[in-house]
Amino acid sequence: MSTNQIKVDALVVGGGISGMQTALDLGDQGYKVAVVERKSSIGGKMIDLSKVFPTLDCCSCITTPKMSATAHHDNITLLTYSEIESINRDGNGFKVQATKKPRYVREDDCTGCRSCELVCPLEVSEDEHEFGRTSHRVVYVPFSTAVPQKALVDLDHCLFCGKCIQACPSDAIDFTQQPEPVEIETRSIVLATGFETTPINAKKEYGAGKLRNVISGMMMERLLAPTGPYGRVLRPSDGKMPASIAYVQCAGSRDQTLGVPYCSRVCCMYAIKQAMLLSGALPLAEITIYYMDIRTFGKGYEQFYQNAKAMGVEFLKGKVARITEDENQNPIVRVELIDEFGKTRVTERQHDLVVLSVGLLPGGNPQPKFGVPVGEDGFVQVPDYNVFPAVTSQPGIFVTGAAAGPMDIVDSIMMAGAAASSAASYLEAGNGSRKEAQRQPERSVEYA
Amino acid sequence: MAERVNPYFLKELKKYGDVRIEECFNCGNCSAICPLSTEEDNFPRRMNRFAQLGLRDRLLASKELWLCYYCGECTKTCPRQADPGEYMASARRYAIASYDPTGLAKLLYTSPVLSVIFLLVLAVAIGLFFFQASAPMDLQTLRLFEFIPSALIHNAGIIAGVVIVLAALVGMVSMWRRTFQALGYPKGTRLDWWGAIWKAFGVEVLGQLRYRKDCESSAVNKPWYAQKWFIHASMLWGFLGLFVATALNYLLELLSVKATGTWVPLWYPIRLLGTVSGLFLLYGTSLALLRRFRKDDTSYEKSTFSDWTFLALMWLAGVTGFLLEIAVYLPPFAWSYWMLLAHLIVVGELLLLAPFSKFAHAVYRSIALYLWTLKPLPESEQASAPAAAD
Ligand SMILES: Cc1cc2nc3c(=O)[nH]c(=O)nc-3n(C[C@H](O)[C@H](O)[C@H](O)COP(=O)(O)OP(=O)(O)OC[C@H]3O[C@@H](n4cnc5c(N)ncnc54)[C@H](O)[C@@H]3O)c2cc1C
Ligand code: SF4
Ligand code: SF4
Ligand code: SF4
Ligand code: SF4
Repeated sequence: MSTNQIKVDALVVGGGISGMQTALDLGDQGYKVAVVERKSSIGGKMIDLSKVFPTLDCCSCITTPKMSATAHHDNITLLTYSEIESINRDGNGFKVQATKKPRYVREDDCTGCRSCELVCPLEVSEDEHEFGRTSHRVVYVPFSTAVPQKALVDLDHCLFCGKCIQACPSDAIDFTQQPEPVEIETRSIVLATGFETTPINAKKEYGAGKLRNVISGMMMERLLAPTGPYGRVLRPSDGKMPASIAYVQCAGSRDQTLGVPYCSRVCCMYAIKQAMLLSGALPLAEITIYYMDIRTFGKGYEQFYQNAKAMGVEFLKGKVARITEDENQNPIVRVELIDEFGKTRVTERQHDLVVLSVGLLPGGNPQPKFGVPVGEDGFVQVPDYNVFPAVTSQPGIFVTGAAAGPMDIVDSIMMAGAAASSAASYLEAGNGSRKEAQRQPERSVEYA
Repeated sequence: MAERVNPYFLKELKKYGDVRIEECFNCGNCSAICPLSTEEDNFPRRMNRFAQLGLRDRLLASKELWLCYYCGECTKTCPRQADPGEYMASARRYAIASYDPTGLAKLLYTSPVLSVIFLLVLAVAIGLFFFQASAPMDLQTLRLFEFIPSALIHNAGIIAGVVIVLAALVGMVSMWRRTFQALGYPKGTRLDWWGAIWKAFGVEVLGQLRYRKDCESSAVNKPWYAQKWFIHASMLWGFLGLFVATALNYLLELLSVKATGTWVPLWYPIRLLGTVSGLFLLYGTSLALLRRFRKDDTSYEKSTFSDWTFLALMWLAGVTGFLLEIAVYLPPFAWSYWMLLAHLIVVGELLLLAPFSKFAHAVYRSIALYLWTLKPLPESEQASAPAAAD
């Protein structure tokens, strides 16, 4: 089986924005690249976002073309719904074992027509992107802009009624599919495994996830996205349009009780972004952001913040200590407010909806599989960050994006460039052994 | 008003406990989580600031220091793990030492070694003082107060009492002046002096209302009799009860109704009050010692030497007192007499050191609670006061 043997110059692990950009940068330079993505679609966190700060560009409109470009690039092989099992150094390169999880749909045959979805009698909760706010059929195409546009079957819930098999015009459904081992031979690896967000139940004082009208920033992204579950912003408990929305900043970062001393860098900006979008979606709503410091460090970010202020978003200095709720499930925040004259007041304020500006946590520990150490913060360690921002301590293994630390999209894309160029230099130097600094004859370079 | 900044203040505070408040980044989580913080009188964050900025005088003028019962909620939730609860406790120790002009409190708080020496020397001194005046032990009938004459005990007690009260008064006046000024009521504001007495001493000091109602969060898993407020109240009520019983006893002697040491049955009202109070004291101190030893609450995790000695002395006072009471109902033994001496030594130490030890918190906390409950009279009764604005 030829598909189960892949030989490439670079293996990119993770198909988020940073992984896709690395793959594209390397692919454009003529290197052969494989992208292994654990989920059924590439796109990472970015494809779930509503709009991006600080330009307020539509997120799908930026991400989807990148996803297609990655999928259709001649030099890029895409393996979605796949896991890396093991990595072994082999001479100057690596031998990687991966597994393609069964979709129960033959990828080569499926056209994404969704006829199967229409006939499937059962709906299950959509947890991966929509936090259970909506549902999908047991056989489903992950979402409307998923790449690849191929169906998969959630076998745990399947009734085996066979309706989809009958409906499928290209006979793609195959319940007998088994996990498929894939062997990847590569000369370099780029980790682009991204991040996870602070779980909504992490903090007892914030209701431990039990308060229905306390949601995470990621959930708000979905409520604001045009492709979101309701198509507008409604609060979870009763579907009411919230008239007063509060943001709790640093809800999961800069908090040693949660073991996260660092700042997650993006949550100030995404809260401001969401506040602006909410001002458009719910013009009458009052929006308050409770913060310790507003960190708007990037190009155009400070102006973005000032614009939000000018739009009437209320910024109050104080760390929310506790969130409770009243009998109508309206969240109540308790906070010490410190005004510009240093006068302080401990007060409780009621809102209709509270959004926790959750932080960015490491997506997983790459140490056991990749042998790449992580720093104290749990993100992939970069020994010489100032000079070689994408080079890990393992020769031939590079890192990009939020896998290396909290990072926004702009930085993730820039780092992707850095990772691609570090990887290319490494490949140019001859698989990392700098003595042998000649071109590898088998590599095909195509200049456009 | 110019404020003097003391750059060594934080360093000084660190001698009084595990102070790491320099870690604080002023988020205000602690003040908002604190069950005792109110809209206006909020703490501990503002107190943290005083330490960070070297504003010693402001700290010493803060009644808020004493409104904290150290429930530990702030410490548990502080995002910087700056331990604001322990800082508040240390700042209270510092304040006791600062209000005391003799320097004894500072010594007792900052040097365990010197404290031990001091306590031992004092114990020997008190022991010798009573022992040199003792009569031979009567092993036929128990005559405790002939062994050590009750008049000597009473007179020594009164003299010690006067000294203690004077020493305590110096500290109390010092604290009162600073904290009252910090309330910032304009000159001429008429305050509800009388109303505050009941609220502060009745409801808060005796009733322990805020400790009871608001500080329970850390003790949710404990039955009421094992909660911190009840342990604290047991000690407080026990101590006050014993104090009253002793005073009444002396009063009866002065009135020639009953001489000290006259045998009375267990149900004799004053004896009964003493017994019940003793039980409370013993219960409270035993549990406090046990829970401190087990460190089963945030506030018990960093006990200092002064915490231990204060509790140990109270506990010993209770134990020796009870053994003495049992002795009264038994045939006379030599140990009964020795027990009296031991009891006098322990109680003597406890009382003599009151203004300089953790004991002093009782007065300072009371003043703070009084100032906290002290509010201006309603608008209508302010009329006669001169205009406050200028
Ligand atoms: C609520 C919220 C709003 C945001 N809004 C903005 C914004 O407006 N503008 C902005 O610039 N930034 C924003 N960000 C930040 C932005 O999401 C990140 O900068 C960006 O997603 C990082 O991309 P990435 O590719 O590094 O990681 P990810 O997007 O996390 O992608 C990582 C990919 O790797 C896959 N993966 C992980 N582990 C493995 C593995 N072991 N094997 C295979 N695949 C794996 C994951 O499934 C995922 O697809 C926001 C973040 C949040 C939480
Ligand atoms: S599995 Fe068949 S019916 Fe379903 S989307 Fe693919 S081609 Fe269409
Ligand atoms: S970016 Fe803002 S909200 Fe996020 S951790 Fe940093 S300061 Fe807190
Ligand atoms: S919670 Fe901690 S960091 Fe925040 S103000 Fe209080 S002591 Fe400082
Ligand atoms: S220990 Fe408890 S009472 Fe004291 S300041 Fe902290 S939260 Fe308030």
